[in-house]
Amino acid sequence: MQPDTETAVRENLSAVLTTEIAPEDLDPDLDMAGSYGLTSLNKVLFLTSVCEETGVDLGHFTEHDLAGMRTLRDVAAALSRYTDKAV
Amino acid sequence: MPQSVINDIVSAPPAHNGRISFARLDGTETLTLAELYERAGRVASGLRRMGIAPGDRIGILAANCLEWVLLDLAALRLKAETAGFEPGKFRPDAELLARYDIKLLFSDRPSEASGVVPVAEVRLLSEQHDDEPLPVVHYGPQDTTTVKFTSGSTGTPKGLAVTAGSIDSSLHAVQEIFAHRPGDDLFVFLPLSLLQQRYWIYSALRHGHDVTISTYEAAFATLGRVRPTVVMGVPAFFETAKRHIESRARRATAASCPEDAVKEAARRLFGDRIRYLWTGSAPARAAMLRFFDEAGLPIYEGYGLNETCIVTKNHPGASRAGSVGKVLAGKQVLIDEDGVISVRSDHPVNRRYAYAAPGDSERVFGADGTVRTGDLGHLDEDGFLFIRGRADDVIVLDNGKKVIVRPIEEQMKSDPAIAECVLFCPAQTDLVAVVSPAALPADTEAIAARLADTNAGAEPDERIRRVVVAREPFSIDNGLLTSQFKPKRKQILAAYEREIHDIKEGIHAA
Repeated sequence: MQPDTETAVRENLSAVLTTEIAPEDLDPDLDMAGSYGLTSLNKVLFLTSVCEETGVDLGHFTEHDLAGMRTLRDVAAALSRYTDKAV
Repeated sequence: MPQSVINDIVSAPPAHNGRISFARLDGTETLTLAELYERAGRVASGLRRMGIAPGDRIGILAANCLEWVLLDLAALRLKAETAGFEPGKFRPDAELLARYDIKLLFSDRPSEASGVVPVAEVRLLSEQHDDEPLPVVHYGPQDTTTVKFTSGSTGTPKGLAVTAGSIDSSLHAVQEIFAHRPGDDLFVFLPLSLLQQRYWIYSALRHGHDVTISTYEAAFATLGRVRPTVVMGVPAFFETAKRHIESRARRATAASCPEDAVKEAARRLFGDRIRYLWTGSAPARAAMLRFFDEAGLPIYEGYGLNETCIVTKNHPGASRAGSVGKVLAGKQVLIDEDGVISVRSDHPVNRRYAYAAPGDSERVFGADGTVRTGDLGHLDEDGFLFIRGRADDVIVLDNGKKVIVRPIEEQMKSDPAIAECVLFCPAQTDLVAVVSPAALPADTEAIAARLADTNAGAEPDERIRRVVVAREPFSIDNGLLTSQFKPKRKQILAAYEREIHDIKEGIHAA
C-alpha cells in the first residue's frame, strides 16, 4: 500500500466510525462492516471523503466497485491505482 | 380534492421548464421533464408491443436510474401496474414473477429466468418512435397503480396495492405545507422501489420543480455538486452526515468559531441552497434534529406507515420539537384508551394486503380502511402528535406495571459505544438488554457505565438488570437489522435466547 494513501484511508475510516479507534490501530485486513460496524451509508461517506482528500475522482469507480471494497486494504489498493505515485 | 395529480401527469406533457437529473458516481444525466414525458410515452408503446395491456403488472428490480423512472411513468400511461422490488432484498427469478403475478420483470441483475428483461433495453425503447397513439387513460380514486412491499421484520414481505386516490391525497397534502415550486430541486437517493421516493417525480411533473435521482452510493458525493433545496432522507442518513460534519468542523482551523465551522462543513456536504431536510421512516433522535436546525439546515420529521402513507409532518409553518408534526389534510388520527394510534384516511392506501398470510389484513385494516398502527402516542392541545413507542414494545411485568421500552433503549443507545439496544423481559420481572456494540472488541466498561447511568435515573421497574453484549454488531447481513436499520426483535431474541435467560450471563447492574 502507498503510505500517503494508506494514512488518508486510516484517518478517514477512523473519523467515520461510531467508536473511537485510532487510525494506527485499524487492522487493514478486517472486514470493515463486520468488525468495525461500518454501515453502508458510513462506507459511502468514508469513501467520498477519502477520495476528496487524496484527490482521486470517485467517478473512476462504479457502484459495483464500491460494493467490492470490504477491507481497508481493498480501499487503499483501489485508490493507489489513481494516485500520482505508482504502487 | 384538487385535480388528480396522477391523471394530470399521464394526460399531457408538462408545460413548464422543470428538469430531472440522474446522478451516478461517474456523472450526471439531465433532461427536461417534457422530454421525460415524451420518452415515457415511447416506452409505453414499447411495452404495449411486448404484450403489456391495462391491468397487467410489470416488476422493476434495479438500482435508481432513468430506466426505472421511464418504466414507472410508462406503466401509468398504459394503466398497467408496477411492482418495485428493492435490490438486494429480492432476486430476479421465476419464483418472484410467479409469486407476485408479474408479466415482465425489468432488472439490472443477471437472470436466465423467462420473463426477465435487462433494464438497459428500456433506454432503447425510449428512443424508438411509434405512430400508433397511446390510449387515453383515466384513474378513479380506487384504481391501483402499483404494489409496494412492507419492509417488515419477519417473514415474506407483504404486498400492498396502492390506490391512485391515496397518492393524490398525499401529494396534495404535502404540497399544501411545503409548496415545492420552480427553483426547488428535490434530492432522492433512497430506492425508487419505495413508492414515496417516486412521489417527488410526480410532484416535479405537476408543479414544475426539479428533481435529482441519485444512486445510493453516489448520494454524499453528488449532494454538494447538485446543490438541492430539499433532501429526502432517513434518520440513519442524517446521523451519518452529522458525524461527518462534526468531524470536518473539528478539523477546520480557519473558522472563527465552532458554530461557524459546523455551518461551513454542513454547507460543503449539502450545498448552499438547502431549504429544508425531510426525515421519516424511523424515529429520529432529538439531538440529531437539533444539530441540523442549529447548523442552519431545518429538518422536519414526520410519521406514517406503508399502510397509511404520510400521516403527520412537521413543516416550516408548524413544527414542534419532540413531535412528529400535525395531522395532514385527508388523515385522521384516532387514539384509543391504551394510547394505541389508528389512522383513518379519506382515501386509504388500500383496505387489505394484496399478498399476505391469512389474517394479516384483518389484524391491521378495519373495514373502512382504518389502520391499527400498533404505535403508542398522544396529541397535544395544539394537535401535534408525539410517538412514545410501539404497543408491542410495551413489556407488562408480573406486578402489572407497563414499561415502554423505547425511551430506555434510546438512553442506552445515546452512548457512543452502543449501536443498538433491545430490551427483553424473560421472566416478567427483570429487564435484560441485548446491546449491539458500536465496534469490536466491545467497550464493556463504557457499556457498564451507561447501564449504571440509565438505571440511576429510572423508576425501579424500569431498571435494566443485565446487559448481554452481542457477539458482533447487528447488521442487515447477519439478519438482525431491517433494510431500514431497525433492530429485528424476534431474530435478536432467537440469536441470544440462551444468554437472555441465563442469569449468570452479561454485565450485571450494580
